[in-house]
Amino acid sequence: MSRAILMTAMWCLAGCSSGGGGGGEPAAPQPGDAPAAAAEPAAPAAKRKIAVIPKGTTHEFWKSVHAGANKAGQELGVEIIWKGPVREDDRDEQVKVVESFIAAGVDAIVLAPLDDTALVPPAKDATREKIPVVIIDSDLQWDGRTSFVATDNHQGGAKAAERLGELLGGKGKVVVLRYQEGSASTMKREAGFLETVAAKFPDIEIVSSNQYGGATTESAYKTSENLLVSHEDVDGIFCPNESTTFGMLRALQDAKRAGEVKLVGFDSSAKLVEALGKGELHGLVLQNPFRMGELGVKTALAKLDGKAVEARIDTGVGVATKENMAEPAMRELLSPDLSKWLK
Amino acid sequence: MAETQQARLGRVLELLGPFLALALVVALFAVLAPDRFLSAYNLKTVATQTVIVGLGAIGMTFVIVSGGIDLSVGSLIALSSVVTAVLLREGWSAPGAVGAGILIGGAMGALNGLLITRLKIVPFVVTLGTMGIARGLAKYLAEEQKVDAPAAGLSELMAKSPDPAWLVLSPGVWLLLLLAAAAALLLGRTVFGVHTFAIGSNEATARLCGIRVERSKLTIYALCGLFAGLAGTLQFARLTVGDPTTALGKELDIIAAVVIGGGSLNGGSGSILGSIIGAFLMAFLANGCTLTGVPNYVQEILVGGIIIVAVAVDRLRHRATE
Repeated sequence: MSRAILMTAMWCLAGCSSGGGGGGEPAAPQPGDAPAAAAEPAAPAAKRKIAVIPKGTTHEFWKSVHAGANKAGQELGVEIIWKGPVREDDRDEQVKVVESFIAAGVDAIVLAPLDDTALVPPAKDATREKIPVVIIDSDLQWDGRTSFVATDNHQGGAKAAERLGELLGGKGKVVVLRYQEGSASTMKREAGFLETVAAKFPDIEIVSSNQYGGATTESAYKTSENLLVSHEDVDGIFCPNESTTFGMLRALQDAKRAGEVKLVGFDSSAKLVEALGKGELHGLVLQNPFRMGELGVKTALAKLDGKAVEARIDTGVGVATKENMAEPAMRELLSPDLSKWLK
Repeated sequence: MAETQQARLGRVLELLGPFLALALVVALFAVLAPDRFLSAYNLKTVATQTVIVGLGAIGMTFVIVSGGIDLSVGSLIALSSVVTAVLLREGWSAPGAVGAGILIGGAMGALNGLLITRLKIVPFVVTLGTMGIARGLAKYLAEEQKVDAPAAGLSELMAKSPDPAWLVLSPGVWLLLLLAAAAALLLGRTVFGVHTFAIGSNEATARLCGIRVERSKLTIYALCGLFAGLAGTLQFARLTVGDPTTALGKELDIIAAVVIGGGSLNGGSGSILGSIIGAFLMAFLANGCTLTGVPNYVQEILVGGIIIVAVAVDRLRHRATE
């Protein structure tokens, strides 16, 4: 727990100090930071352009990524071009965006691929044109990428298990509401949760872990209602993303059991933060999309400058609770103020 | 004498409109992004990006000229891409899987035609129904996931830098151009083409003239389905996965391409060349917006505006020639 807070505090430090102290001694070596603000002042005549391509543009998560990318861009004096697929979640649309940026001759591409296979050909094209490709958020089935900058989802699930185990005093009946079949990131969270429970909390019984909430809040809500009926004696619940967490929260509120059943979720939204404050939600595992955007751009630039970059960069997770949610580092993650970086 | 001259003028104007719009868009981005937009690499990219919508637009032109509409093409593209992927995964050869993908499109198109002519339901409603049916079938066959399949060299069809370098453009682009030429002959120089125009202009009159309207319509919708099926197999070639959610709303892009190219939803007018120009126009617009970093919402507003302007110009032209 406290380690998580420490880590988030470090994120903030790393984020705010643009010039000084390239890597304090306690920090685990963060390869993306090294080339950050220091480095050679020998800027090329033309401003370098880095294209950042999200999965979509309307979701809150991607706005944070955008803000992080802009921050890195301003600090390092490069132009950030932000463009997602016009039709969100359409693989072909995203392929087109990547192709167009290759044709536009950008210096580097930071990409959050919608699909781990379909985006491989355009990423290869880019590399052939000597444009480095840094992958963020979800991985690509291809070794040629410059780096993969993302949340360690397995660890996120493990942290959720630790929080729930702590809340339940190491015993009780627990339900896992899964998100969707075939969604790699959430499946890793679920696996991390289940493995940690099995290893560390032998007295916790998983009474259900085969139900899927599906893509929308609506479907997650219905599945939650059914789960609460069939498992009346449940003590704790884990949900691996925002829509399942919110659907379960609504179902608990309807059943007048919110607060009584311990609920640990994933990702943040205004409604979830409110529930956390009211004690209806007992923990939220938070990713750091802002840092994902920032490190994605910094890693791409490090590659352009011919520096060594690590193949896998973890952007870390934090666990927000009612007790720590007022702390500045956690506030930053729960409801970040992006207006500074997004005009 | 004066009439034929006027008619010829009308035909020239009909193609001039979309050509001018395309030239305008190209010129605009050539100024905004000099040396990038008109680079050979970018032109090859845009051409490849046009293939899917272009193929769909060829089939759709026949449908729209005949006074109908086909809303199911987007779903048919997805269905065909899934069928191709599933069969490849099952060990079928590439030509076999591609053939099956094209045929499933044709079969669904024929189903559209049968329902429209036998049940006498308007095409909008029939194809709205098959749009859902084909999408659902695609998801069922794919088990609600994307289908990973060996590409079996199919990705070469849509490679921007084709293997024999003398091809210059990807094989998919050549296929589009060849089929467009063939379709233009079919629509403009054959009895079938004349019948298509006649049905679209006035179905009752066409029937009185002895045209077998039902049979022609069946052929038209099956043809449209075949083109959608081909587009779907190429979509697979491009993505290298069979995706049941792909091309959602693509039917609207395809209809827009035909309308920008001078097709009228009242039937009786439209041309293959115009539709292809329409498809290129939208691809250039999307590409140019990305190149210059224009946000998505601007691009969507622009495309919407162009569709309305294109149709408005079309109306004015009709009023002038009448």
